[in-house]
Amino acid sequence: MSSTAIERKDQKNAALVEMCSVRLGQTLFGVPISHILEIVGSARPQPVPLAPVYVGGLVHYRGDVLTTVSLRQLLGMAPKDGPQDILVLESKGGCFGLLVDSVGEVLTVSSADHEPNPSILDERRRALFAGAYKLKDRLLVMLDPERLDPMRLSEARAA
Amino acid sequence: MDELTREFLIESQEGLDRMERCLTELEERPQDAGLLGDIFRSVHTIKGTTGFLGFKRLEKLAHAGENLLGLLRDGKLTADGPMITGLLQLMDGLRSILKIIESEGTEGEGEDAALIARLEDMQIPTITYAAKTPRAKAAHAPPAHAGAAPPENSATTALTEIRPQTSLEHQLEPPAESTADKPRRAAPAAIASLEPETDPAKPRPQANSAAESSLRVDVTLLNRMMNLVGELVLTRNQVLQATANDPNLTLLSRRLDMVTADLRESVMKARMQPVSNIFSKMPRIVRDLSQSLGRRVRLQVEGQETELDKSLLEAIKDPLTHAVRNSLDHGIELPEVRQAAGKDPEGTLRLRAAQEGSHVLIEVSDDGKGVDVDKVRQKAIERGVIAQERAAHLAERELLQLVFLPGFSTAAAVTNVSGRGVGMDVVRTNVEKIGGKVEIDSRAGKGTTLRMRIPLTLAIIPALIVRSVGQSFALPQGALSELVHVPPSQAASAIEWIEDAPLYRLRGKLLPLVFLDRLLMPHSDRKNFAERDNFIAVLEADGRQFGLVVDGLADPEEIVVKPLSAVLKDIGLYSGATVLGNAELALILDPAAIAMKAGVNMHGEEAATNAEAALHATQATKNIEYLLVEVADRQAAVPLGDVLRIEQLPASRIEYIGYRPVLNFEGQLLPIEDSGGVLAAAQGNSQAQVIVVVCREGNRHVGIAVSHVLDVAAGGDLFEAGTTQRTSGVTLLKSRVTGVVDLGAVAALPALESGAPEWDRESESVA
Repeated sequence: MSSTAIERKDQKNAALVEMCSVRLGQTLFGVPISHILEIVGSARPQPVPLAPVYVGGLVHYRGDVLTTVSLRQLLGMAPKDGPQDILVLESKGGCFGLLVDSVGEVLTVSSADHEPNPSILDERRRALFAGAYKLKDRLLVMLDPERLDPMRLSEARAA
Repeated sequence: MDELTREFLIESQEGLDRMERCLTELEERPQDAGLLGDIFRSVHTIKGTTGFLGFKRLEKLAHAGENLLGLLRDGKLTADGPMITGLLQLMDGLRSILKIIESEGTEGEGEDAALIARLEDMQIPTITYAAKTPRAKAAHAPPAHAGAAPPENSATTALTEIRPQTSLEHQLEPPAESTADKPRRAAPAAIASLEPETDPAKPRPQANSAAESSLRVDVTLLNRMMNLVGELVLTRNQVLQATANDPNLTLLSRRLDMVTADLRESVMKARMQPVSNIFSKMPRIVRDLSQSLGRRVRLQVEGQETELDKSLLEAIKDPLTHAVRNSLDHGIELPEVRQAAGKDPEGTLRLRAAQEGSHVLIEVSDDGKGVDVDKVRQKAIERGVIAQERAAHLAERELLQLVFLPGFSTAAAVTNVSGRGVGMDVVRTNVEKIGGKVEIDSRAGKGTTLRMRIPLTLAIIPALIVRSVGQSFALPQGALSELVHVPPSQAASAIEWIEDAPLYRLRGKLLPLVFLDRLLMPHSDRKNFAERDNFIAVLEADGRQFGLVVDGLADPEEIVVKPLSAVLKDIGLYSGATVLGNAELALILDPAAIAMKAGVNMHGEEAATNAEAALHATQATKNIEYLLVEVADRQAAVPLGDVLRIEQLPASRIEYIGYRPVLNFEGQLLPIEDSGGVLAAAQGNSQAQVIVVVCREGNRHVGIAVSHVLDVAAGGDLFEAGTTQRTSGVTLLKSRVTGVVDLGAVAALPALESGAPEWDRESESVA
């Protein structure tokens, strides 16, 4: 009965969003696939000395040199050894890469299941996350590419 | 903005550019019908299209200009100075409206009535030409003349403006012009009235054929193509590596190699534009400036067809304009002053462009008063740019380069005195930003030459790949002057310290060092530099010299520069990134930024100079630098100031006059001193090479045959035990007593004197 209720709600005012799921540590994150240009598997970014900590390094991507943002570093987790997957994301400021442990399947979620960031999250995470989707068995934390843009991150740090 | 408007803007800009070129030429040849026709067409095209697109303000202005130009073209008016000024104003007016259209899509609210009125006024020939006012003439004009009237007006109609009549024409026209214009005037009235439509159409067939063979391409598309080609080059490199062992694929991959190289060249060529694109702006600037400054200047332009990458062309526009302004403002004197100095009252400003290998040389030279080196020196010391002792040692050419220092340009007082240097640092900064170099050459009273060396393209630059902190970095070759290898065994002694500042003695001068690993990883454990190989890359940036210490060197490579994201640019050390042949990414180091970050600034240089001076002071009051040479297993010294050059040449080139060895050196006979028997030992061996140090002695040159050139060192004076009498002929070099070559003792030619001078006196008695 509850499922029919949700469906009805969907039809009324909820849109379906396709999210690419991303695993990092114990948490499942989602990035709207409309913002993803490409997924590059097992890359080894070239570190950039003196760069802000959240910069995961540089990768060669289609003739350009792409700056990557390390999600682990952003969340204050220890960096991972070995290759990582990269989501190439598009934001207003241009393209950048997001370094994650591994990329999972694409999930279709309904905006009806979306809830804003809970207040108990720390400030840093609240600034990065764009709420969460309630899946059947777990939560999918939504990442907003705009908020992860390295340019914006550096402004946030400076402020 | 729709496609049509954009097209119109581009075409109009091109038309106005052409007009500008023609106008400045017109000043020299006011009767040139071709030039007038060109200018007329530019304005006419703008007027025609603008009416169609509905830009009323633009149309009105263009119309007023067109009427005036029509009269000029038909020889009813003469293009004198004020006329050309008026036409230039018309052009500026049209430009500014076009600019507004480009940015806002509408013409804006400006008012051009004043300009239009001025243009209309100019259509009336001045009273000296006509006895009566043209207006009165028109009233009397017989109708028969209407057909011969300038055709433009019949098309534009309904205007009340009055033209001088044919009866007047012969009076007004210069005779040369009238014959050229005859056929047109003879045309029947019916055709003449159509002419404004057909006339501008005349060049169209040409324009069409040009349009068929050329194409406007968006620069971003070209950039993208350049990127993709870079990518292809990289892929090719990898394919070549992977297929190296497969004979079947070798042929294919070689073809791929060739096609890629060709493609790269073609795409690069597509981005090239002739320097005439920016040179053509200069006549106008020269004209306006020389008028406002009261100078008389002739502009000479050479090498207009030299091509340069579009982005670089853009980048040098400002520095070039600056240099031209400088030459006019501070270089070329007022006509009276020039005359008084016995020069042509008309100054010459020369713009020259030429390709030199992978660089384009752009020169701005004037025959003005030049830069007063002594004043530069004085000001430099006053402003604390360099220390006094240092200033005294600098050569004239080195002193001149000081005008590029930031300290020199900021204060107006300095500018007035030094005569030059307004924003010269800006010129240098701009040129260095694109990997170029700039230097100034000047002779008091004779003139000044500013030389800019610009790389052909920005996208691909030669770089040295260096290694540090386990990564590869690219160092642009442009900034690199030399490399020094310091093996672990010598590291401890060769690298000296003043407190925390590492220094290296490069030919007797202290070179501040920057350890790249410490700069990049300030908090990491310092690996002891004395336990590994150190390579010092001697870099020059912003007029500072410093050594960058890296762990290793790889091959030089032509690298494709990729831009970095803003976050990484903000770090301030990297100017870009590149992908190396082995597919590894490398950051491109920015030498100027490193110097700044590491604190190698003018202050530091002064400190180093002072430290150097202090060091020397403890040794002796007066030090001369010597070239340390080895002759037949013994060391000897030649004062460095006297050394002109060091030549290595086959022993067979040495000839003998009697027993005296001589060298036919650049057409002159050079006596050679061979007391060490170096030449004698090489004689008979056709393969042997000898080293000859060519020195200046009084008014003549002499050569000294040596076995090896060892080093350059500062010598200390020696005092004979118990006295304050300086010994002559010997010096203390690197703690060893060394004989100084007595150049005066080398016998003159052709008078052959017996007894070779004994110049190699190694004195043991002093120690």
